[in-house]
Amino acid sequence: MSDPQASDPQKVVHWLLDGKPVENPAGMTIYEAARSHDVEIPNFCYHPGLTIAGNCRICMVETNRSKKPVISCSERISEGLEVQTQSEMAVTSRNSVMEFQLINHPLDCPVCDKAGECVLQDHSFSHGPDRSRFVEDKNIRHTKELGPTIDIWGNRCIVCTRCVRFCDEISGSSELCVVERGDRSVVDIFPGVPIDNPLAGNVVDICPVGALISNDFKFEARIWNMKKTDSLCGGCARGCNVEVQSLDGFVKRLVPRENPQVNQWWICDEGRYDYRYLLANDRVTECSLDGTTVDDRTAHETLASWLGESGLGKAGGTLGILVDPYLTCEEAFLVGEIAAKLPGTILGGWRSADGLAQSFPGHFTISGEKSPNRLGVEAVLGREVFGSEGAALRAALAGGEVATLLVFAGFPHPDLDDSWTSAVASAPRRAVFALRSGPTTEGAALVLPGSSPFEKEGTWVNEDGFLQRVRSYIAPGATEWGHDLQRLQAVMRGAGLRSKSLSPAAIFRELSESKTPFAGLSHTALPPHGAPLPGFSRVAVGSEGNAG
Amino acid sequence: MSFEKFFTKYLHEPDCHTLDFYKKNYQGYQGARKALHEWEPDALIDEVKASNLRGRGGAGFPTGVKWGFVPKKTDKPKYLAINADESEPGTFKDRVIMEKNPHQLLEGIIINSWAVGIHDAYIYIRGEYVFATRRLERAIEEAYQDGILGEKTLGKDFRLDVTVHRGAGAYICGEETGMLTSLEGERGLPKLKPPFPAVEGLWHCPTVVQNVETVANLPLILEIGSAAYKQIGPEASPGPKLYCVSGHVERPGTIEAPMGVNLLTLINEHCGGVWKGRKLKAVIPGGSSAHVLHARECDVAMDIESLAAAGTMLGSAGVIVMDDQTCMVNALLNIMRFYHHESCGQCTPCREGTGWLEKIVHRIAYGHGQLEDLALIDSVCDRMVGKTICVLADAAAFPAWSFIEKFRDEFVHCIEHGGSPEVKKRHPKRVGGGLRV
Repeated sequence: MSDPQASDPQKVVHWLLDGKPVENPAGMTIYEAARSHDVEIPNFCYHPGLTIAGNCRICMVETNRSKKPVISCSERISEGLEVQTQSEMAVTSRNSVMEFQLINHPLDCPVCDKAGECVLQDHSFSHGPDRSRFVEDKNIRHTKELGPTIDIWGNRCIVCTRCVRFCDEISGSSELCVVERGDRSVVDIFPGVPIDNPLAGNVVDICPVGALISNDFKFEARIWNMKKTDSLCGGCARGCNVEVQSLDGFVKRLVPRENPQVNQWWICDEGRYDYRYLLANDRVTECSLDGTTVDDRTAHETLASWLGESGLGKAGGTLGILVDPYLTCEEAFLVGEIAAKLPGTILGGWRSADGLAQSFPGHFTISGEKSPNRLGVEAVLGREVFGSEGAALRAALAGGEVATLLVFAGFPHPDLDDSWTSAVASAPRRAVFALRSGPTTEGAALVLPGSSPFEKEGTWVNEDGFLQRVRSYIAPGATEWGHDLQRLQAVMRGAGLRSKSLSPAAIFRELSESKTPFAGLSHTALPPHGAPLPGFSRVAVGSEGNAG
Repeated sequence: MSFEKFFTKYLHEPDCHTLDFYKKNYQGYQGARKALHEWEPDALIDEVKASNLRGRGGAGFPTGVKWGFVPKKTDKPKYLAINADESEPGTFKDRVIMEKNPHQLLEGIIINSWAVGIHDAYIYIRGEYVFATRRLERAIEEAYQDGILGEKTLGKDFRLDVTVHRGAGAYICGEETGMLTSLEGERGLPKLKPPFPAVEGLWHCPTVVQNVETVANLPLILEIGSAAYKQIGPEASPGPKLYCVSGHVERPGTIEAPMGVNLLTLINEHCGGVWKGRKLKAVIPGGSSAHVLHARECDVAMDIESLAAAGTMLGSAGVIVMDDQTCMVNALLNIMRFYHHESCGQCTPCREGTGWLEKIVHRIAYGHGQLEDLALIDSVCDRMVGKTICVLADAAAFPAWSFIEKFRDEFVHCIEHGGSPEVKKRHPKRVGGGLRV
């Protein structure tokens, strides 16, 4: 008996898919191999990031090796295998699984938060019977809170165990289990041990039905009404790929996007639920000059005139620019341009303290560095911008050398140490791009609303030196000054430093022409999963201070 | 016909379970001694293959062939897992061995372990078998004290440890991979196959899973040799066999007879015939998962091939006899309730199908059935069989199929006359009342 598990990826297997000769590397499952030939086999319990459970049975196909249908998620391809995905056996198998799945399912799609992105709905539409022969009473299972952020609607559960496997394999916390047997079985927690791990929110995403529901999103919006923007999470230097889902300009939830090199399929709860600050009371929404609200034009002209009079030997004296690690590479490029065109400018950076780095059994990591684009800003403005240059700027501020200070304070959660805030406050004249008001904006001559990570357009570089696109969920043109990049260009135009405003992509083009690491890259040519920035990979940069 | 009983010869002796008794009357542990000192493992596997010993747990897989699947060269430890869960309704044969003759099982374990190169054997015993557990544990203690088990098994430089593990009462833990998951300390869910347990079983190590009765046969094979063993019963599935006869017979119980004994002989001669002088209506020959046999089909030899030819199976040899006053609808409802209760809930067709079947049969028994329901049952069964990880779905579908096929008139009668007469007698207020759909 040959070992069916023996798989040499170098070996190519020739097999027949729906009568068509195809080939794939040995060791692939029928499901994966069929997918590589654009033949989609339905699934519930299969998830590429989790082990194979093989319990939903909807991925059954007919093969020439077995009289019974086989499940394509676990059966591997072999030489001479013939797979039928559309034969009568395969179709009736899928059809019957759909009928079985729905007999105890409440079909409460009109009030279910999953409706619209529900795998059960989709498969029922494509593979299910159009009516049920089940006339009995449906089983009732529990609806309860599983943890601070997650509820279960047990009646909807199809016991695919994706969530159970996630807690076992990825978060490693094993809070979830299946209780009861047969058609009474349902996902539950152990008494007194709620699901409360840093990755818990992912179980809601991977639930193929509406059984696991996020408290945060419950009854908030219908899926199909929301606008979906592919962006990045700004919570840490990991740069997890997220989809920002918003309704009428309000962010409703963040869900992870798959990126094998960065975040696989997951994001952490810290990042997932951290969008409330977008509507925080202390969010800066208007420009203000000496404490009074002014329109954008006045604010920009004021800042432009300050820049115009600054520089070596000019009346305005020395300009200091304090950058934050939330700036996109494009914004940093413009800041660098200001500094270069106004000789004598002292440029430095500040960032919040490192937090707790966490890594999980499923290889997902949360970075200890909470700055999403430190590497990117460094790639544009120099390696020491947050190091010795930042210290030099602080010393200059303390020494009274700086006359005008331009501050970027895009921190969603300002937790900067007092030495910085007092140094910033000591500047005689201060203009601040601020996300939230606080010590930085107090007493500032000019305050401009800064854009949050979800409102930026441009690129970030994550802790591994991966260049990725960050996009604004607000439509361009929805507001005149959509993001910092446009404001900066308006100010630079006013100060005579730039002749016209350009799109983020055009600025990136300038950046790629002038800065070596970005050479040859462009917004349009950037792969969906990002690209490594040469010379800025994790190894070259050295310790990130989060060896955890 | 000379048949010498092997398992139940001294059943009536009060101390038949002790080591001394076993040594004295059964030439106890001579087979194992012979195996360890005179047989090379490979030759022993060939001998068991030659004996045509078939698994007694239900599937009837050739034991020697199964041993041959275990990889010879492996860095991993190999395990023996004895399935003593015996949860198939109508089955109580392993219990007799473990309560009355536990050393026979231990001797078989030694032979099996030597043949496959196993140093750790587990006995997964049904949780309800408290007495059997106690007897078995006592027997293992005796064996350790006597140097039969332990670092030097029977004086040979071969370590063998035997551990008893009690189940918690789930039917599914009698399925071989479900039992392994349970033994690993997890919820007892059957595993995907392949890999088969012989290659990857307990803790992902090669594991031989054997039924108690199968292993208890090994000392006999060693004692009389495979050629003589093959003479007992039919050659393709030979050996002495324990039949568990229950239901409507005068003297129910565990009967030892050679493989291939006639079913009617078993009922009429060994068990005193159908009780109260009534007539035979139906027999389930191999535990509740087997296809039911109509009275007119019961003149059949009780061995694997003959029963397969009759469209049913020997299974665990749990023979359930039903007299002519049994309501087959109610009997099926009882079986369906069992499978609904015991489905582990892992695979969709079984999880939902078993519950659905029970609900339909319940409806028919309580007078709310329709004639179309019989076709519906047939279709639901068809959609369950062969589409799940383990065979519990098949086990639930087979009785449903065969009951309706062979006793269709009773089901039709129930549908047309407002429910099962037995249910009507017992719950007169809960039956009937028109169609509730």
